[in-house]
Amino acid sequence: MAGQTDPHISLFSPEEVEFMGEDELVEIVPNMNMEPLNFIAGDFGRFVPQIPTQVPLWLAVALKRRGKCTFRPPQWLSVDNLTQILEAEREPQSKFQPLPFSYVEIARLLFDHARDDIPDMYMVRSLVEDIRDVRLHKLENNLGSFQGTSAVKMDNVSAMEVNLVRPFARRALEAFYKHDKPEADTADRDTRSSRQPREANNEPRRPLRQR
Amino acid sequence: MKSRTLKLREAHKVGGSAAAFCSILWDHKAEHFVTSSSSDLSIFVHDGLSPSSSPPTILRHHQDGVTALALSHDSSFLASGSIDHCVKLYKFPSGEFQTNITRFTLPIRVLAFNGSGSLLAAAGDDEGIKLINTIDGSIVRVLKGHKGPVTGLDFNPNGELLASLDSNGTVLCWELQSGILSHTLKGVAPDTGFSTSVVNILRWSPDGRILAVPGLRNDVVMYDRFTGEKLFALRGDHLEPICYITWAPNGKYIATSGLDKQVLLWDLDKKQDIDRQKFEERICCMAWKPNSNALSVIDVRGKYGIWESLVPSSMVAPTVGIPDILPKRRNEILTFDEEMEEELSASLNDDSDDRESHQPSRKRIRRNTVIDDDVVPDEEFYDEGTSYRKKSYKEKHGVRSGLPRSIAGSTKYKMQKPFQPGATPAEQGKKTFLCYNMLGCITTIEHEGNYRIETDFHDTGRGPRVSSMIDIYGFTMASINESGCIFANPSKGEKNMSVLMYRPFRSWASNSEWTMRFEGEEVKVVANGSGWVAAITSLNLLHIFSEGGLQKHIISLDGPVVTATGCKDQLAVVTHVSDCLPSNEQVMEFRVLNICNMTQQLNGRVALTPGSRLTWIGFSDEGSFSTYDSEGVLRVFTSQYGGSWIPVFSATKEKKQKENYWVVGLNTTSLYCIACKHPEVFPQVTPKPILTILNFSLPLASSDLGAASLENEFILTQLRLYETQRRVDDMALAEMDTIALENEAFDMEVSQDKCILRLISSCCNSKSFVRAGELMRLLSLEKSMRAAITLVTKLKLPFLAEKFCSILEEKLLEEANVATTNQLHNPSREAVKSKVQNFPAPIQSHTEEIPKASSAPKPSAATLVRKAKVSGLNLGKEQIKRDETDDVKKGEVKKLNSIKNPMNSVNNEDTGLRKEANQEDARRSSNPFLKSTV
Repeated sequence: MAGQTDPHISLFSPEEVEFMGEDELVEIVPNMNMEPLNFIAGDFGRFVPQIPTQVPLWLAVALKRRGKCTFRPPQWLSVDNLTQILEAEREPQSKFQPLPFSYVEIARLLFDHARDDIPDMYMVRSLVEDIRDVRLHKLENNLGSFQGTSAVKMDNVSAMEVNLVRPFARRALEAFYKHDKPEADTADRDTRSSRQPREANNEPRRPLRQR
Repeated sequence: MKSRTLKLREAHKVGGSAAAFCSILWDHKAEHFVTSSSSDLSIFVHDGLSPSSSPPTILRHHQDGVTALALSHDSSFLASGSIDHCVKLYKFPSGEFQTNITRFTLPIRVLAFNGSGSLLAAAGDDEGIKLINTIDGSIVRVLKGHKGPVTGLDFNPNGELLASLDSNGTVLCWELQSGILSHTLKGVAPDTGFSTSVVNILRWSPDGRILAVPGLRNDVVMYDRFTGEKLFALRGDHLEPICYITWAPNGKYIATSGLDKQVLLWDLDKKQDIDRQKFEERICCMAWKPNSNALSVIDVRGKYGIWESLVPSSMVAPTVGIPDILPKRRNEILTFDEEMEEELSASLNDDSDDRESHQPSRKRIRRNTVIDDDVVPDEEFYDEGTSYRKKSYKEKHGVRSGLPRSIAGSTKYKMQKPFQPGATPAEQGKKTFLCYNMLGCITTIEHEGNYRIETDFHDTGRGPRVSSMIDIYGFTMASINESGCIFANPSKGEKNMSVLMYRPFRSWASNSEWTMRFEGEEVKVVANGSGWVAAITSLNLLHIFSEGGLQKHIISLDGPVVTATGCKDQLAVVTHVSDCLPSNEQVMEFRVLNICNMTQQLNGRVALTPGSRLTWIGFSDEGSFSTYDSEGVLRVFTSQYGGSWIPVFSATKEKKQKENYWVVGLNTTSLYCIACKHPEVFPQVTPKPILTILNFSLPLASSDLGAASLENEFILTQLRLYETQRRVDDMALAEMDTIALENEAFDMEVSQDKCILRLISSCCNSKSFVRAGELMRLLSLEKSMRAAITLVTKLKLPFLAEKFCSILEEKLLEEANVATTNQLHNPSREAVKSKVQNFPAPIQSHTEEIPKASSAPKPSAATLVRKAKVSGLNLGKEQIKRDETDDVKKGEVKKLNSIKNPMNSVNNEDTGLRKEANQEDARRSSNPFLKSTV
């Protein structure tokens, strides 16, 4: 990937992105009785056998490792839904399909830890991998279509994907900006002023993270 | 006679020029027919309607040629015997392999099912005929007596006799009950030697009175069932010995095939042949199509064909006049039609599951009534069947209980069958729940003739780990709690009695499992609790055992059991009171017993939605008895109104119409259930079902208030409060510590008040002021009453605030009254007390006093007392209440404030009095007057 040319510029390592993705809520079915857990992020539980409850992914993984719960695979992680998404992603000129912001991380952790809880695990896994590949390819194509603009808008790009292209996109935009400057025929003062809008234009991508 | 040629189609390849014994069979509905050949490993199941177009289902389980086939009466099972010494059982028509039901040391030659399909007779080159119980594969009996390979077997239609024929030509007739030989006919049939392609065969007539055996003179000889004497012989155009015989379904015709390669059709009444068909090869097996005038044949080269309309249309069709009442032969599939099958399953179920007997046909009802009355019917069909059937009936009555059958059958709707709460119905080849509750579950699955029982606790950390168990009994009922699980199976005939088995999870001694056998009765429902196990049987007996297996009590219940459940010391039993009403309403009653104290805690009728059935009973987490019916209504039994059912949940009120709820448990506010997608009523075992929590929602009328959820909450909290207070009282009576419960009750009061306040607000919004006033009276805490006044004041409803103030005042008075009467012993109050005691009377007279009081501000005795009392009561609370009351700036509320204040003037006191007067007049017009006085 383009961003890998200079890995030091990349903001987060994949592990770090995964760490952040672990805050996503997943549904588990506990098989033990436990009082609610009170965390900074909120209270989770109480845990009653066979009654599903929502917990952060990291807690779910920790419980699963101890054999205290089973996962309920999220709705989107089904063969039907993923097949649909994959088909839609493969359509030429299509937009990115809505998937959880950290779908790669969630899927990865579930595949690692909750193998027995996902029906058609191998099918699901290969579908997720296909979707990821298709989306990365699309992302690269989109980067190729950069014009001399100061902002690029892409909806539904996931955490891992954004993380991959962020350094490249930033530098590319910087480069565009630099090359545009003589044509724009403006002073340094304007450069600074146009820098600000560009930073501001980065903002709209933020809300994605709240997905 | 016309000579038609029949085209044969190849089903099985027979190599070389050798002749192979091939078999052909129809199922009872003529939907499929089965062929096999002794030179082919496969069994073909052909589609009976279009055998040529659709390819046959091929069953390849044998290692050598298949020599014998048999279908059970209802065509649900297919048995095959082979040269490889095995007898295999398949499901039919799917052809799914079930089990290797038995093995011989030499090839099998013949198989036969008895009428009910419970017995399979198998015989061959081995010595002895094996009678195999098809349910568990056990060998019931081995009949020895033949000196050569047995090639022919046939059960008498009523199932009492088995006729067998060996290759030497000897016919033996066995009485199955005793295993005694009733008749021996030596050398009556041709000696076929050791040829495997020719077998001697014999057949009972469909009415069971005649046994047809190939004779020595190329004829068919008929023998009498009772005497064993030769009745007559059919002799005709057969040039060589007869090798196969088959009766038409109605017994009026018989088809025979001879070694001379021809098939003859005989008319029994005229005792002469009516048609014949020549074939290229010898026909070794024939079968009448059960519902039409057609005969299917198969020759020794494995080619089959169907001889259509063989009985001339001028004669009675072979399907007309099938003996209707007698139990039918079951191994001869040709003799069935559906009507008979129904009749059979009904009358011959002494060893089959008696579930069938709950749906008797109309015919049966009539007949049963006859039998119950012990009237010997004079219909000719009964002359030999009755004795047997009466006997079997008596046996059945020994095992089964219930109301007299004639009554049970007299209405259209049936009494509900017994069931185990938390069980799902058995399904072939699938795991089913024997028991599922909040604690854990017991599942069973059939596996190669045995059952495998697994016990799991939902809380895997805390519950004991229980190893899975191979179940040889075939348990269908189970119950589980913390200390152990109890299993039981229904009885399957005399050989397999109903067994009760208990497995404790932890015990200080090894080998503490125990089993009990029930002779002549059948366990219908089981339950267990702390230290006891209960089993309710078909004789309406409630057996109570200790955990160690000691038989502690035996109680006769007053009706057939529906279901039962246990929780700690409590056992709840539901029984039928009477037969189902013509309006399809079940009539049941319940009783809750305390096993430890040997007391009956509750009893009463079970409330059900009309037309529904009970589907679940259980105890809530707090121990209240609850039921769930098939219409989706959950009811909890409360002591309100002297013990009544409250419908706390109704599935129809729930928004998701597409789901059925399978109840597992409940607590005071919600229901634990498994949601099943609509057509499904029962959950699947895998994937492991998860519980859904549904809040109670009473089936309330849709009120004009538009606050349905609040009204729902209000009634529920009221109910809970009532129950808690009752428990507090109970515990106080038992001199136990009630502080925890009282705190709980207080919390409930608070939440109830919150709910009422919200209701008041919505009442005010919809201008239902009278309702608001009623709600105000229901508030239990003074603080919330003040909040209500504040609320209506803020909503700018001064007259309502006025009304509320008077209510509060009244309430405070009452409280004070109660408090003072309760404190009779308090000496400091002595002075006040004497006057307070006759306080209610002065209140009545206040109306007259008011004008006096207002005109002359001289406190009367009554008002003084009131003032002192009210103020005395409120003095302590005064400080706290100040904050609240400060908010209340309106004039009307101030007045109330002044009442509490001991320093207030008599004038204010009088306004208070006046207010009371107004209240009694229930006039709002008093408002301006009040304002003017302030």
